[in-house]
Amino acid sequence: MEDAAEDLTAVVAARDDQDTIDVVSERFGTFAVSADSVLHFPQGPIGFPADRRFVILEHRPGSPFKWLLSLDDPELGFAIANPAELVSGYEPPLALAAQVLEVEEPDIALFVIVTIPSDPRAMTVNLMAPVVVDMRTRRARQLIVEGAKLDPRYPVLELSAEQETER
Amino acid sequence: MLVLTRKVGERIRIGDDVSVQVLEVRGGQVRLGFAAPTEVRIFREEILRTVEGQNAQARLPDPESLSDAAAAWEVFVDGRRS
Repeated sequence: MEDAAEDLTAVVAARDDQDTIDVVSERFGTFAVSADSVLHFPQGPIGFPADRRFVILEHRPGSPFKWLLSLDDPELGFAIANPAELVSGYEPPLALAAQVLEVEEPDIALFVIVTIPSDPRAMTVNLMAPVVVDMRTRRARQLIVEGAKLDPRYPVLELSAEQETER
Repeated sequence: MLVLTRKVGERIRIGDDVSVQVLEVRGGQVRLGFAAPTEVRIFREEILRTVEGQNAQARLPDPESLSDAAAAWEVFVDGRRS
């Protein structure tokens, strides 16, 4: 799945390339991406129905974190991550993803959305609602995995005793 | 709001391709079965609200927050290795 994620990462294209999309964002800067790297969320992420086109950008080589940026609202961005690197023992719901996307499991890339509070050590990932992508068509969807009691606020870093008390 | 009364086993059709069937009624709870195309998202409302709320919180305020998280992650991984 790690390789899958690499394939999906948008290449920040040179401005004079053909078929590029210019992104101008106050928050995330100005850059261009190749048009064929765009992911399509037919219904948007949950709660963001107007945001249909996104790109995934590398945060830093080797980092488990990536950007998921909206092209429809360039000020909308999420941090996403490959859960295999952040959450030990996590079993990605590939069967459900395959059913919902109507693809075979090897064609799926799966990411979790990371919530980063003011103290980044308290960051959490949403295991209940991963983002899944059909790598062949770049169609994407945010799943909700019902019934499995997956934590929407799973703490990535083991919490200190002090932070535990605050919870 | 449209209100309909149904017996166990009976169905309600919504639009051309969504069907809801009453499967069981017991002790103040109703079990429903849904048949719909995969693009129709069907969730318990409170779970949908949870995910919407979490997504709203996850929206990044700035690029620095991700760099801070990545740095915290690296510190954590280094600590785990040593």
